[in-house]
Amino acid sequence: MSPESDDPRIPATTDRGAVPSPRPSPQDPPGPRRVPPPRRGGGLRTREQRLPALVSLVLITVLCLAGLLHLVLQLALPARVFFPEALLSVILGAATLVLGFWVLRRIRPVREPDADASLVAVAWGLFVATSAGVIANAGLGSVWAKGLGLDLAGVWGAALTAPLNEELLKLAGIVLVAVAFPSAVRGPVDGFAIGSLVGLGFEVTENFIYSINMVLMAGGTGGLVPVVQTTVLRVGLTGLGSHWALSAVAGTAVGLLAAVAWRPRARRAVGAALLVALSMVLHWFLDAPVFSDVLGILFKVAVIFATTMAVYFTARHAYRRRVRKALAAEAEGLGVRRSAASALATRHGRRRELRRVALPERPAVAARQDQMVEIAEDRAVRYAL
Amino acid sequence: MAEATEDGPRTEPREHLSNWVPLGVAAAAVAVLVGGWPLVNALVPGSESVPSGEPVPVGAGGDYRASLTFPQDGWLLDTGSSQAGQTYRFDRGPVQLTLNSVTPVTEPPPTPEELWEGMRRIARAGESSARLSDPESISTEEGAEGLTGTLKSDSQQGAAVVYPSPDGRFAVEMTLAGQDATTADLAAVADVVRSVTFTKEGAA
Repeated sequence: MSPESDDPRIPATTDRGAVPSPRPSPQDPPGPRRVPPPRRGGGLRTREQRLPALVSLVLITVLCLAGLLHLVLQLALPARVFFPEALLSVILGAATLVLGFWVLRRIRPVREPDADASLVAVAWGLFVATSAGVIANAGLGSVWAKGLGLDLAGVWGAALTAPLNEELLKLAGIVLVAVAFPSAVRGPVDGFAIGSLVGLGFEVTENFIYSINMVLMAGGTGGLVPVVQTTVLRVGLTGLGSHWALSAVAGTAVGLLAAVAWRPRARRAVGAALLVALSMVLHWFLDAPVFSDVLGILFKVAVIFATTMAVYFTARHAYRRRVRKALAAEAEGLGVRRSAASALATRHGRRRELRRVALPERPAVAARQDQMVEIAEDRAVRYAL
Repeated sequence: MAEATEDGPRTEPREHLSNWVPLGVAAAAVAVLVGGWPLVNALVPGSESVPSGEPVPVGAGGDYRASLTFPQDGWLLDTGSSQAGQTYRFDRGPVQLTLNSVTPVTEPPPTPEELWEGMRRIARAGESSARLSDPESISTEEGAEGLTGTLKSDSQQGAAVVYPSPDGRFAVEMTLAGQDATTADLAAVADVVRSVTFTKEGAA
């Protein structure tokens, strides 16, 4: 049992404000009792958040449509001429997207991030960040070519362009998702998950663009080979240290700020700024013309992945501890064993607890688990303040 | 229940910053990046004069590197539209010379005819009305063999040329055209497409 679970004095407030924590009272009968169902996915914290959330969602939608249109105009013609190559690239991209979406939602501790926020985050990466990135990168890339000369820009141009433009464009999407879904992005683990999904969407579209570029750079010869090579390189070789990881790090910063209603104290603000800077530095490291052979690239990917995992496990450890603390507090009010309640902090623990229940009772118990976990997450957010 | 406040959240509630602020900052960041860099790019002059008679490196692959030597003065390199070792755009009045160094990925390397077919598709991928004629043989002034033909589209017409490097590991592809270029304009600089030189790496 963790030391935290010995502390029964947990405030009954939640971020939803209206869901009291059940507590024993002289009138309460002994034994388990029903938890009031929280409003899943709803419950904007304040009325002041609703209008910005709506505007943010409208803005994201409009920009997604504009980005999609821009990408179609840019890519439709080459995709039509090189149709088999484009089709294969779309299929490989779809597989990457489905697998990545499942994995990256699973890595959020306790339970998956909000489904709507997850989909919007992916859409931003797929359509807006990439489309805007094409424009911004072309502009800044040309500026470097003019200012530094073709040769120097050819070597350093990517490292001086992509980390700035792409990380900021993806970061803007994470912030907009956090504003649009304030109940889904309430802390570092949410920011990590939503950031990784924005990065995943970006990566999938970017892989498609790279595939088409590779086909053109191969002189339109080679059939499907350039597409397969691009996928092997960008998913197989560098996949563990690519956009999902970089934006997960930056997204953690957004979670840090969203947790305190965007008014951080100095230490938190510095921490968030350092995480954003870290995502850019890692991107620069990946694109920089150093360690450019296969082993060197693997080294760079390993550094990025290890750094991302360090951020992840730090955020996960702190969050799980708070959720366990909250669950232990709930246990007291519900007549549930503390150890059983704390175990609900993990998916594995919930499944294990369910298996101990008779089959007919499992749906009801599962529903109660969901409610307890949701309330515990509400409380855990407040502990982090 | 006085204990509820003691070990709860460690800080007092802080005043919320309006969510309009992050929303505005994020939207502004996107606008600045998308609008700002193209604007800066448009304001920075980006043409470099290319003197005649001096070889300009335009790509490398396998054991060879390629260069282009302009027979005439007056050519300008559009640096903003060029990428070292891959794409170069040169302008001379209404005439545009676009050069791409392409690197086939198949083994054995494609034949000149396969490269021409690839170039035909690339031209259509850039402009749907672009068509290349059937190719004829051409050689550089130094004797490297290639293929040439006419390029026609709704917006321009001119010539297209491809030269595989001697080991076939890369190829230099060029189009010489221009929306406002007359046949006389193109004829005046037609010899530029024969001024490609392949040099073995390490050779003097």
